[in-house]
Order: sequence, then C-alpha cells, then structure tokens
Amino acid sequence: MTINTGFSGAVLHVDLTSGRTSRRSISSETARDFIGGLGLTFRLAVDAVIPGIDPLAPGNPILIGTGPLVGTGIPSSSRVYAVTKLPATNTIGWCGAGGMAFGCNLKYAGYDHIIITGKSDRPVYLDIVDDDVKLRDASGLWGKGVSGTIALIRQRTGGRGGIAAIGQAGENRVLFSMAYIDGVSTMGRGGLGAVMGAKNLKAIAVRGTGHVEVSDAARYKTLAAELAGTIRNYPYLKEWQQLGMLKSFPMVPPELYEKIKKRRIACVSCPFGCKDLVEIPDGPFCGHTASSSSVINLLMPIVYGFSDYREAIRLVSLLDEFGMDMFEFFGIMKFAAELFAQGILPANENDPPIVINSLSSMTAWAEKTAMRKGAGEKLANGFAGLLAKYGDRAAACAPALVKNMHPYTGPDSALPWDLFGTMELGQITEPRGPHVGSGGSPTYFAKRPLDLFPRHLERMGVPKEAIPRILSANAGDKPGLNVGTLLAYSHRWFSTLGSLGICARAQVNRFYNLELCSALYQAVTGLPTTPEQLRLRAWRVWSLYKMLNVRENAGLNTDTVPQRWVTRPGFREYVSEEPLEQRQVQQMISAYYREQGWNVETGAPEPVTLKRLGLNSLFT
Amino acid sequence: MKRFKIKVDPAVCTGCMRCMLACSWVHSKRFSLSGAMIMVDASGAECSITFADGCIQCGSCADACFYGALAKQAPEEVMP
Ligand code: SF4
Ligand code: SF4
Ligand code: SF4
Repeated sequence: MTINTGFSGAVLHVDLTSGRTSRRSISSETARDFIGGLGLTFRLAVDAVIPGIDPLAPGNPILIGTGPLVGTGIPSSSRVYAVTKLPATNTIGWCGAGGMAFGCNLKYAGYDHIIITGKSDRPVYLDIVDDDVKLRDASGLWGKGVSGTIALIRQRTGGRGGIAAIGQAGENRVLFSMAYIDGVSTMGRGGLGAVMGAKNLKAIAVRGTGHVEVSDAARYKTLAAELAGTIRNYPYLKEWQQLGMLKSFPMVPPELYEKIKKRRIACVSCPFGCKDLVEIPDGPFCGHTASSSSVINLLMPIVYGFSDYREAIRLVSLLDEFGMDMFEFFGIMKFAAELFAQGILPANENDPPIVINSLSSMTAWAEKTAMRKGAGEKLANGFAGLLAKYGDRAAACAPALVKNMHPYTGPDSALPWDLFGTMELGQITEPRGPHVGSGGSPTYFAKRPLDLFPRHLERMGVPKEAIPRILSANAGDKPGLNVGTLLAYSHRWFSTLGSLGICARAQVNRFYNLELCSALYQAVTGLPTTPEQLRLRAWRVWSLYKMLNVRENAGLNTDTVPQRWVTRPGFREYVSEEPLEQRQVQQMISAYYREQGWNVETGAPEPVTLKRLGLNSLFT
Repeated sequence: MKRFKIKVDPAVCTGCMRCMLACSWVHSKRFSLSGAMIMVDASGAECSITFADGCIQCGSCADACFYGALAKQAPEEVMP
C-alpha cells in the first residue's frame, strides 16, 4: 500500500548520465519501519549504494530526504538530509541541514526523497517544479560562488522555492566542500559539495505548488496547539529569538551583536530562528552583508586568533561563497603551516606564508584551496590526501583527527568544551566522522547535576530499565555516568527527530519527547505508532546506518581515539573532571557498542540484533 | 466570524512561513504555500509580507507567528 498523508509518498529518481527521471512510490510498510526522513534515506541507500564505490565516481548516489512532519507547520520541522559516501572519510554519512524552503517545497512538489545517480557530461542544475523535472544547463553558473549561484537561479524562479547549491570548492572536488541549502544552512562537511561537483551538478532547485495532508486533523490540531502553547510560554523564548546561538555560546557582547544584526532567519516553521543575516557596520568592509547558519560560525575565526570581528565575518563569508567548511579549513591550514615549517610540504614562491590570524593570508589560501592553485591543490585533498602523500612524517605533526577529519571539539579544536560527554565521544563513533550533531544529551550543558538526568533521559526515549545502567556508580560510591551507554540513546533520539524531520538543536529538542513524537507521527501519517514502537524503529535506523558502513568495512576499526585527547591537558571526565585516560574512552566505546547490540570486537551489529530489528534480510 | 485587520512588521519577520502554512490550513485543511493568502518573500535583506485578495481576515496567520511580525488589530477597529 502506498502512503500519502504526512508523506508525499514518492521518490524522485534522477539519472544524470542518461538525463532520465522517474517517480516511484513508497510503501506504507517501508515508511513505517524506517519512520521517514533520515531513516528512510538510509533504507533507500541500502539498494542505491554500490559497496566499495569511490565517493567521487559517477556510481556514488546522492540520496536526499525530508521527514513526514516537514511542511506541516509543526515547530522546527524543517530538516533535510542527504546520504552519500563521503570523500573525506570514505564512509557513508548523513549530511543534515535546516531548510528554509527546500524541504517543504520538496514535499509540496510531491516527493519525500530524491535519488541522484550518474554524472552529467556538462554542468547542469536540477530544476523541479512539481511533476516537471528538468536538468538545465548550468554553464553560466559554473565557476560562481554559492550566493551568486542562488541569486541567478532565483532570478529564473522569481525567488520562490528552495535551492541546494555548491560553490567553486565543490566544483573542484575539495574534500571538505559542502552544499548550501537556501544559501544559509550548510550540509556535508565531509565533501557533499565534491560529490555534487564530481557529478557536474551545480544545484537543485525545487518549487512545489501541491500540499501535504495530515491523517487525523483533529488530533493534529490539539497536539500542535499544545506544543505551540508550551513554546510560547517558555521564559527564554524571547532571549533565544534575540540572541540565537550566542545565547549558548556568547562569543561577543550582545551590544556588538545588536550592531551587526540585520535580521534573524528561521527554518520553515521554527520559533527560534537561530540563523543570521548580519551587516558589517563600519571599517573597510562597511556594508558587507553575510547570512549564515549561525552568527557563531561567522565569528569563529576569533577563536583562531582573529582580533577584528569584521575580518572574521569577511573571511567566513568568503569560505561560504566558495562552499568550504570553516572548521576543516582552519584545521588544514594549521596542519599545512606545520608541514611547510618542517619542509615536508615544499615551499613555492607563489604561495604566501600561512598566517592563521591574518585575513589577507587566509583569503589567499581560501582561494588557492577552493581553486586548487599552487599548494592549494594538495590542501584541497584534506587530511586524508596530505597523510596519504606525505606518510609518517606528516602524521607525526598532524593534529587530533578522527577518520581523517578535524573534530569540532577537543584539545586541538575550535570549540572549547573539555568535559567528555556524549557529543565528544560521539565524534569517535559517528560513522560520518567527527560531528557533534547526533550525540546530544543532557551532557550538552557542562556540569549539569546528575539528578536532573533521568527526566531528560526519559524524554529522549531511554527505557526506564536502561537508566540505572547509564547513571550507575563507578569507582566505589561516587556518582557516575556511563557516557558510552548514554550515547547509544543519543543516537536513537537523533534518529527519531531526524526521521520525523525535527531539528535536533538543543533549543528545539527540549520541547519534544518520545510520547509526543509518536503521537504526532501517528496523527500526521496515520501509521499506528506507540512510543515503544518508535523507540524500536529509531534503534533500527541507527543500526542500519552502522550496517551501511560495516558493508564499507568501516566497523569498529575506524573508531580510533586521538592520542592528543588523552594527553594532558586533554579532555576531562564528565563527572569527576579528572584527566581522561585512553582506557576509559575505550571502555566507553565498548559500552556504546554493547548497548547498541553491536559486536565489541568488529563493530558489526550482532546477528541477534539484526534479527530483532528485522534487518537481517537486507544484507544477505 | 470575527474579522481582523493584520498589522505587519517585516523588520522582525524571520521568513519562517508558519503564517502561510496556518493560512492554507484555514482554507483547505491541508498545508501548502500555494494555498496561502499571505505571501512572505524572505529572499531579500528584509522580508516582504503581502496579502492576496482572497484573505478573509481571520487572523490565523497572526496567531501562528512566533515573532510578533503579524498582529491582529481589534475587530471593532475594522468593522465598527
Ligand atoms: S533551531 Fe535553528 S536550525 Fe533548528 S530549525 Fe530552528 S532555525 Fe533551523
Ligand atoms: S487573515 Fe488572511 S492571510 Fe491571515 S490566515 Fe486569515 S485568510 Fe490567511
Ligand atoms: S510573518 Fe511571522 S510567521 Fe510569517 S514568516 Fe514572518 S515570522 Fe514567520
């Protein structure tokens, strides 16, 4: 049986090689078993991904998905996911973004998912207007940056609809190039941009004039009104709306932020609007505007030593224009400076010195990297490329890396958190590389008292019987927290939200719980769903993700702990705040795998787990 | 049914389109952008908010807005 409430009920297949497109329906059983959005995208990847494929080969598919709540007006139901084999890590990864207009327009156009395969023989962009799906010539867009590309497409579409686009870095297959959703949200720092570029696919534009229906309108209305009411009564709502991500990470004083703020930008139906449009108010870049998935990103070069916030904004907008991840860029720059200093990377007279806190140096290197000019040619290949080329000598001066990528948080990283919670551990066990998005839990706030944990854990869908395992005492009678065991549930909760289409950022996440998610899912889709069933499906989704990577030979072998993390001053244990030891991290990793029902030696889900989750027949 | 004049403040609009979805729901019990009588264009530096002729001044869009960009004016101000 096909499904058409909540879901649009169809997958759009696009083969760039032949130019053929087709529409295939989704069965309600598959939708139910994998929830939708992120989960269903993983399910589609099982058949679409050829095991062992080179990420930049035409055969590597890009799967895009958006969840059943997207487009229904439920607060912060905006998420868009892409799944592909990522070149930076050589693993199958999810890439996620909040969609201003992309996700809901895809639904209104009649599709929950797009599967893109093959390679076009010339630059194209995919233009979707309901049933009218065209590959349009993109020769006039090729060579343009992200905002330039979006502006030109919007001229043609009259500003309506959603757009996913890449910049020059993606065209040139920079390993840390991303796709940009609606010019603001970033997607896929492990090289989704490069995968699109390798396919000669500059952008995807989608406009939908159709609609999304819900199955049980009365129930939907009650649930939606209650949720909206709770959010309206949240005492910090105004502060979030005014400060955005600066509320949790106050990098600059609120007065300065007020000076640069043009307006807040929200994903579809989101009450928190944590994205930003800013304008530099004075100095040499006076009048320069920049939009970003967060003002924090725009200011991040301050952490890397920039003293003038205006120069920080200028640099990040340039990186965004080229379509490159800022964290990975700085990681690579620091590494390259070391390689030059050691004489490992040969100096070229046309390459300026690398000065991490200098706008002119970083601007020059951003361009060299995005365009693969001079030594930029090598830097564009990321840590993986540099390590492969320069071997042990390079490895000896590499910063802390996980799966050949620069972690967001840690002793060598930009974000200064040093207590080792689920987001930090999750950087190791996340198949896509060191990302923090899927590892959320109460440890997001450092030093949160442990007696506040059970309430949050129950909300995230942790079964009651698992709570003592998570909060059990270690080392005698001291209170303890088993971060590894907890992370298993962080990943399942992320799978729940991501598959429904809800944003997992902390300010949103706090308003959702497993009961509400299952009730909303049932009301919108009409698929009978108890909290218990949703919990099982979320476990299935994350285990399927793992299986996709086990099939790529990325089981436990790629979950390595950077030595730097456990060398003082490194990470500290979340509860005791004592320096973290390698042995403890290994124990956490084992606890994580055990809790997931995955083998602690190989990382593969155990046969009994696969059977319980109904995944055993998928990988024979 | 009461009718309200809707006062708009585009400066605080975030482009979230929740008003459009609320409006389409009022008219069709379905969610769409094409079925909304309020149009928000967030592609510029400031959002532009406009209403189509089919607007019945029900005020549901203002009720849905979390940012204060739309405000219902008292019904008697419109229809004394
Ligand atoms: S919290 Fe931010 S990222 Fe999440 S849906 Fe809202 S605007 Fe988008
Ligand atoms: S007031 Fe007009 S625009 Fe607003 S919801 Fe009602 S009909 Fe739609
Ligand atoms: S008017 Fe309000 S609901 Fe409508 S897009 Fe703007 S902020 Fe969102």
